[in-house]
Amino acid sequence: MLEKVSLKMLDLSNSKKTGMACLFIYMLSPFSLHADFKPTKPIEFVVHTGPGGGSDLLARFIVQTVEKENLSPVRFQINNKTGGSGVTAMTYMAEKKGDTHTIAVFTGNWLITPLTRSETKVSVKDMTPIARLVLEPALIAVKSDAPYKTLKDFIEAAKKSPGMLKQSGGSSTSRDNVVRQLLMKSTGSNWTFISFPGGGERISALLGGHVNVMVIEPQEAGEHIRAGSLRVIAQVAEKRLPGFSNIPTLKEAGFNIPNVPQVRGIVMSSGIPVDVISYYENLFYRLSKTATWRKYLEDQQFEDGYQKSAELSHFIDGYTDQMREILKEAGAKVIR
Amino acid sequence: MEILSGLFNGFSIALQPLNLLWCFAGVFLGTVVGIMPGLGPAATIAMLLPLTFGMPPTSGLIMLAGIYYGAKYGGSTTAILLNVPGESASVVTCLDGYQMARNGRAGAALGIAAISSFVAGTVGVLGLMLLAPPLAKIALSFSSPEYFALMILGLAMVVLLAGDSMIKALLAMLFGLWIASMGIDLFTDASRFTFGSAELLDGIDFVVVAIGIFALGEVFANMEMQGGASLLPVPKGMRELLPTMAELKACRFAFFNGSVVGFIIGVLPGAGSTIASFISYGLEKAVSKHPEKFGTGVPEGVAAPEGANNSETGGALVPLLTLGIPGSGTTAILLAAFVLWGLRPGPLMIQDNPELFWGLVASMYVGNVMLLILNLPLIPLFAQILKLREYILYPIIFGISIVGIYTSSSSFFDCWMLSLFGLLGYLMRRLDYPTAPLILGLVLGDSMERALRQSLMMSQGDLSILYHRPIAATLLFISLLLVCLPLFRNFNQWRIRAIEDNG
Repeated sequence: MLEKVSLKMLDLSNSKKTGMACLFIYMLSPFSLHADFKPTKPIEFVVHTGPGGGSDLLARFIVQTVEKENLSPVRFQINNKTGGSGVTAMTYMAEKKGDTHTIAVFTGNWLITPLTRSETKVSVKDMTPIARLVLEPALIAVKSDAPYKTLKDFIEAAKKSPGMLKQSGGSSTSRDNVVRQLLMKSTGSNWTFISFPGGGERISALLGGHVNVMVIEPQEAGEHIRAGSLRVIAQVAEKRLPGFSNIPTLKEAGFNIPNVPQVRGIVMSSGIPVDVISYYENLFYRLSKTATWRKYLEDQQFEDGYQKSAELSHFIDGYTDQMREILKEAGAKVIR
Repeated sequence: MEILSGLFNGFSIALQPLNLLWCFAGVFLGTVVGIMPGLGPAATIAMLLPLTFGMPPTSGLIMLAGIYYGAKYGGSTTAILLNVPGESASVVTCLDGYQMARNGRAGAALGIAAISSFVAGTVGVLGLMLLAPPLAKIALSFSSPEYFALMILGLAMVVLLAGDSMIKALLAMLFGLWIASMGIDLFTDASRFTFGSAELLDGIDFVVVAIGIFALGEVFANMEMQGGASLLPVPKGMRELLPTMAELKACRFAFFNGSVVGFIIGVLPGAGSTIASFISYGLEKAVSKHPEKFGTGVPEGVAAPEGANNSETGGALVPLLTLGIPGSGTTAILLAAFVLWGLRPGPLMIQDNPELFWGLVASMYVGNVMLLILNLPLIPLFAQILKLREYILYPIIFGISIVGIYTSSSSFFDCWMLSLFGLLGYLMRRLDYPTAPLILGLVLGDSMERALRQSLMMSQGDLSILYHRPIAATLLFISLLLVCLPLFRNFNQWRIRAIEDNG
């Protein structure tokens, strides 16, 4: 109703203007024009990790919330397309061209992997962004008996003895290492990065005093801080997390480096009609506003990262460019 | 006293009818997924996680933990009867368990596996209850150099797993190490041996190799013999179905060895149950009076690894519950479950939620008893599968192997890999190469390489970090002794012969 009225009110003299007005209205109230599409069979929900992986747990929580809040007329069915560090799932999605009943969880890795890996034949560019859902912030932590009270202390110590201090983290393209590269470059300091495959081993190395610093998820760190075994010296987030209001973000601590969020959201294959895109956009928008979802974000200490399709598309471009630069500087072989 | 009152409190929670029901549901499901190759406890727990949201956390934990340790019981069944490891940790059980079945002692092997699992599972819970907080602290002092030494100790076991030819055993082990190096290198992000194929980026799954080489390889080799010659003798009557006193007596040390080794390795976040079973099998063989009989179906060769992989569960819960640190895929999912239930896993969890910890500990005692009662009567039933003729049995083995692999990865590529390794297993049998060293290399290769590189990064390339630390040095010294063991034996035999000649 509202759209019709506003269309009349705008004195439209040519079709180009009409198109623009429609676009304008579409952007104002993005979820009112989708009425056409309704899913007719169960929706396949592709996840690139095995059951229990980060994306899998997120997907299972989404499935459960969709059912509980009655957000969809059909069921969501999880399909774990594991293998190839996510490449198997990405290839599978790219092959589902035009499939209106298949969606997938994407993560930052889907954006980074194609940059360095020649085995990858597809990228998120071959897919349709639907919604960005969560941003996962991080903390920089040291052992509580370490002499570093602030990140500056740590950086100064690293400058005094280059390469002697150590950080435990994931793979060399992980966010942990990207934050380290950015910090080292902006301060001219240098310390060692040691990869451990599991989060448990990373924290063990820090708690056991075998390494000096770690970029850690708030969820993982929380209880160690309360028990007094770890100390947080900075947070990798746009704004301070509720549970850590006395700890400065990197920017506040005086380190002017780009924020590197860990991101998760939803994509579909390419060739999806506009009404279908807005149907799913709307579904995940409503999901992100439910109380169940809000509580989930709070429990997991995630930031609400909701963005709709167009914004997400823009975000993906920016993120990919940023990562390409960072990887190049870190000495990785960037192939595209 | 505090422990007693805690335990008392725990039993009052675990023995509530509803919790007993959840405990039974957990161990029953665990046994089922343990029996089915491919589908492991980690995947099962992740899939059932949403069901537990509405439950009180203690009940949920009792059920999910039941799946975790129940799967370790079930894993031995297919390993013994069909040479199909139902779960990665039961690979070692195949070595002597399947041979026992071939000797007509399938029932006894299953019985020993169940009893050993029960004993070691209970010891694991005892350890968890009595030693958790101090042990967790010690585990933290264990770092990459110590892990490296532990993996070397594991690799040294190759001298015990070798058949007649040490060269062939070493070749098989190197092949295993090579497979382990495939995929993305964590440190440099380089792809190794992927031959441009995206499917190989994560390397080759251990389960694919193990089922291919053990199960399919065995079937191929048997098929060649044609006719009923290879039909396994089926145990008849209750006496043949149960372990004899002599067999149980032979396992006395194995029960102890499996329980202790499994628990200690379980506490370490970077090791895992497959390594635990290999090491306890090796230890059993090293101290045995008749090491040459291992691999031909000795009961202690089943008891030790089965015990180790069960008490490993109790050990693995130590860092999880006392520090909030997961040491394996399955414990990582349990950790995720804690968060979804609104609990805060970490160093203060036992203090904040004593009913959770003690409820779980008590339920694990109960669950282990349930598993024993559940598993023993099933033995005669399972043993019936050996009555099938080969033309029915072999397709069944093929079927469960392929379906198992496909359910765990839903990838046809893995099924092709499975057949490839089946052929390799056949060739190795034909050419008389031992298969266990290959699996050993594959299990240890990745962690060993990682631990070595981590150690050297810690020390700026100084090798002395590997032997200047007491635990690492001790482990390396034991490995050296192990490697020298065959030399001592040869020398001894030569000496005896020399004395006899003189006499």
